[in-house]
Amino acid sequence: MAEWFGDNSGLLGLALLDGLASAGLIFLVAVGLNLVFGVLRIINVAHGSLYAIGAYAAASVGIVFASMGLPAWASLPALVVAAALVGGILGPLIERLVLRRIYGQEEVLQLLVTFALFMILEDVQKLIWGVQPVQHDQAMRLLGTYDVPFAGDVVPFTAYQLFVLPGVALVVLVGLAWFLRRTLTGRVIVAVTTDREAATAMGIDARRVFLLTFTFGAMLAALGGALSSPTGAIVPGIGAQTIVLSFAVVATAGLGQTEGAALTALMIGLGRSIAVYFEPELEVVVPYIIMVAVLLVRPQGLFGSTVARRI
Amino acid sequence: MRDGPTPATLALEGASVDIAGVPVLRGISLAVPPGGRVALIGRNGAGKTTTLRALMGLLPLRRGRVLLGGEDATAIPPHHRPRRGIGYAPEERRLFGTFSVQENLLLPAQVLKLPAAEQRRRLDQVFALLPELTELAPRRAAGLSGGQGKMVALGRALMVGTSAVLLDEPFQGLAPALALRYAEALKRLHEALPDVAILITESNPELLRPLVESAYTIERGEIAAA
Repeated sequence: MAEWFGDNSGLLGLALLDGLASAGLIFLVAVGLNLVFGVLRIINVAHGSLYAIGAYAAASVGIVFASMGLPAWASLPALVVAAALVGGILGPLIERLVLRRIYGQEEVLQLLVTFALFMILEDVQKLIWGVQPVQHDQAMRLLGTYDVPFAGDVVPFTAYQLFVLPGVALVVLVGLAWFLRRTLTGRVIVAVTTDREAATAMGIDARRVFLLTFTFGAMLAALGGALSSPTGAIVPGIGAQTIVLSFAVVATAGLGQTEGAALTALMIGLGRSIAVYFEPELEVVVPYIIMVAVLLVRPQGLFGSTVARRI
Repeated sequence: MRDGPTPATLALEGASVDIAGVPVLRGISLAVPPGGRVALIGRNGAGKTTTLRALMGLLPLRRGRVLLGGEDATAIPPHHRPRRGIGYAPEERRLFGTFSVQENLLLPAQVLKLPAAEQRRRLDQVFALLPELTELAPRRAAGLSGGQGKMVALGRALMVGTSAVLLDEPFQGLAPALALRYAEALKRLHEALPDVAILITESNPELLRPLVESAYTIERGEIAAA
């Protein structure tokens, strides 16, 4: 094994650089899914749609910005603006109109409702953006490339994928940990996650926390999509692909674990890119191999605890 | 405005509560006067916890009313009741495990957006009444023993409970020495804050006798004796 990697250590390094970028994107989506589940106790299948709509909206906002004659650097804030718009509009709409009706109901019903929502949003995307690939990569081209030495030559990586994607994920991870720990709103969210009834008895309006958390989770999913949009063409189906992958991350990490989700996203992101370099046909199954292997040994997930919830 | 005796701080009038379609409380009426110390005695499953949860608005009433300070509070959402000066220490403590003891104590006061000076004053008051909490303040709540946790839960209820505290089976599972300390804390509480009403549930009436002025007995969801 060591020898096999020894011959390919340069290649492994490239795989790690690729994996870091995809891990960052998976993390943004998975951590939102996780947060929403922790507070609302609903597994939101439509979380993947928010990612896809975030990606499409980022491309559209980027195109609009460019057509308005804004400077090229504006394409970077355009990504964040698009994510905030998508999360800030769709988040409260979905929570108020759909989720509010299914809190505390059977899980099967909740899954069916959010799955139905996912299907509806898929069609809405086709209605607005069509089925042809959409592309707007100005934000990525803007930052240029960075030459990584490999086998006596260099391989150009985009600075966007090397620095922006992992950087934003890191900022979100650290910022979220700080927010949940140090701010009153963050502690209120943690209190509702820990024990909704006790939190209510302390004067916390759980419904407001649900709305806030869901909107925030929606923004994170949309941010993941928006940041991914400059790296390639946006095609129908990316929502489904993303939700399945982030389920794998959340299940492997253990539901409700933020830092755990980050480490697991890293593991799965790196696992995938290593597969791309060494055994490309395994790329698609690697996340699920990791998930199954972990869940066979630790059904509660890598970082989950087995404390039974009292009823 | 109002004639006659001062209205009760807390009262239930003919309250019936169902949980998952099963009647748990059947027409309960009880009243806790201002500064009164009242026990609710009953076996496990008699409906003690449900009575307190109904007072806090955590369960909807099928019939009857909740009165706070003589006013009909049945429709007041549960998260607005602490604002009315009602503190609640649930059974099983229900502290927030990742927070420190001090963060647990402060949370309800912060949620009510009390001025910082008032939060500090109430915290100091809780530390004065329950001196063991001073030492525990920086500790993580998840690492507390059962007895320590009950003290913290009492302190947390006092942070907002300016007119009443509801204590659900605080003596349950406490070692005798700790139970004695808890009882002493309740006496100190009554001496220091004579206006705060206390409603306390328990399955063993002997334990509470020296601590309360009156007692209700609840059996199968009905008040059997007052």
